[in-house]
Amino acid sequence: MDEIDDILASVSAPTVPQRTRDLQALTRAWVNERTSPDLLPYPTPLVDRVMDRVKKQIETIEEITGTLDPKSNFTLVILQTELERFKFLVRSFLRARIAKIDKYPIHYRDLTLTDLSLLSPLEQQYLQSHQALLSAHYNGSFLATFPQALQKLDDTAGGVSMVDKPDEETAVFCRVLRDAGTVEIMGETATTDVDLKRGDLWLLRWSAVKDATVRGDVELV
Amino acid sequence: MPSNHTGPVVQERAHEHASSASSPTSPLAVDFTSSHDRDFQSEIAKMYAEQGNKLVTDAKRISSLQHLPPYATSTVRAVTKEVRDLDREVTNLLAPYGSTQGSDGTQIKSSFNPADDPATACALLVNHLSMRRNKRCLLAYHRMRTGKLEQMCWNGVDVADLQNASVSTSSAGGSRHSTTASSLSAEEEQYAHQYSDLLAAYKGQWTDIDLTGSLEPPRDIFIDVRVLKDAGEIQTEYGSITLTKNSQFYVRQGDVERLIQQGYLQKLS
Repeated sequence: MDEIDDILASVSAPTVPQRTRDLQALTRAWVNERTSPDLLPYPTPLVDRVMDRVKKQIETIEEITGTLDPKSNFTLVILQTELERFKFLVRSFLRARIAKIDKYPIHYRDLTLTDLSLLSPLEQQYLQSHQALLSAHYNGSFLATFPQALQKLDDTAGGVSMVDKPDEETAVFCRVLRDAGTVEIMGETATTDVDLKRGDLWLLRWSAVKDATVRGDVELV
Repeated sequence: MPSNHTGPVVQERAHEHASSASSPTSPLAVDFTSSHDRDFQSEIAKMYAEQGNKLVTDAKRISSLQHLPPYATSTVRAVTKEVRDLDREVTNLLAPYGSTQGSDGTQIKSSFNPADDPATACALLVNHLSMRRNKRCLLAYHRMRTGKLEQMCWNGVDVADLQNASVSTSSAGGSRHSTTASSLSAEEEQYAHQYSDLLAAYKGQWTDIDLTGSLEPPRDIFIDVRVLKDAGEIQTEYGSITLTKNSQFYVRQGDVERLIQQGYLQKLS
């Protein structure tokens, strides 16, 4: 059965228009971002395409509104509803990312030094400026009068790291979209391998499925 | 003695001390207080527990509040002063050893050998830990407050209103505004201004999306709203409407989003 599904999928995939696939991809990215504990790489091309389409749709709507044709009112409502929903998806997606960036700023600042695709340039800018504001605020409020060695904000000495990290070991529900090989999971006493087969639904640790999610083999639900 | 050897020894002593501090019969605990001015030590310990903790419980309380209570200027000042006092104490303790110490227990470069004088080593460590703890308390308190301020910025509260943030934004009575002194510190006011600028800049890149818009999934583009406060006249694609108190309208959600957030309108379901 699986083989037939695969063949069907490979045949039917190209006929799905780009915009439908984009909507699917955006929805998936949105759900993934909202459920994963960690920040996922920023999908630049996808967001660009969607934003282009949003812009065009706004123009179309303005055009139709301009004609003041009562017959087009119904179309207009549908178009506007669609537009609002798209806007909501993008907005919620971006806000989920900002929330994570604000929660673990120093962690992500350090990560972006090596991995440029993690944040969009805008997000990076936001992160940098926000951190600068925060540390200026701390300094102005109390930190400046501290002994030199205690003024750091990313100190890891003394047994407690000041840099907060997302919890990679938290559990996520995920659905396997493509066979993704095996991942190792840890039980209380031993480790086992889990075979990720297409269509499977798993509750796994985020660290185990992170790579597969980034590749797109697995989606979170 | 090489400097990197002193760290673990000091650490060990402190753990011993921490576990034995509660039992007054422990020789280590007695050592610790007898070698120094007992009154001064207990004074420090008491102050530190009270003031630092106060900030943390305050932060905890703020997390569930709608508004921002006044900035605890005196507490913050006391905790900061305590850190400086502790630091001076550390310097004094190490002075006999002709040291150039870092403020960090692991970086002592001096002739001081913790094994020879466990009491001093212990005092040093407790001081260091207290300073670190105070710093964490301060950071937690300030982060909680800035977080609140950021939240207000995202919710579209006017920065001018933020200065009167102790007045709940939903009950914006003009008379109360004038009687309430600002509950923000000068630094916080500045921070709020700068953050709202930063947010505006980031938002400006996403004008089509309206980042600060509703995070509720939209169902209908037209909604029923009731006007709670006079909001004047607004322009929509379908002409202008005058929002007078207690009237009800059927409008496009996108047009009035802002006014709902600011409490002028109420959405009817």
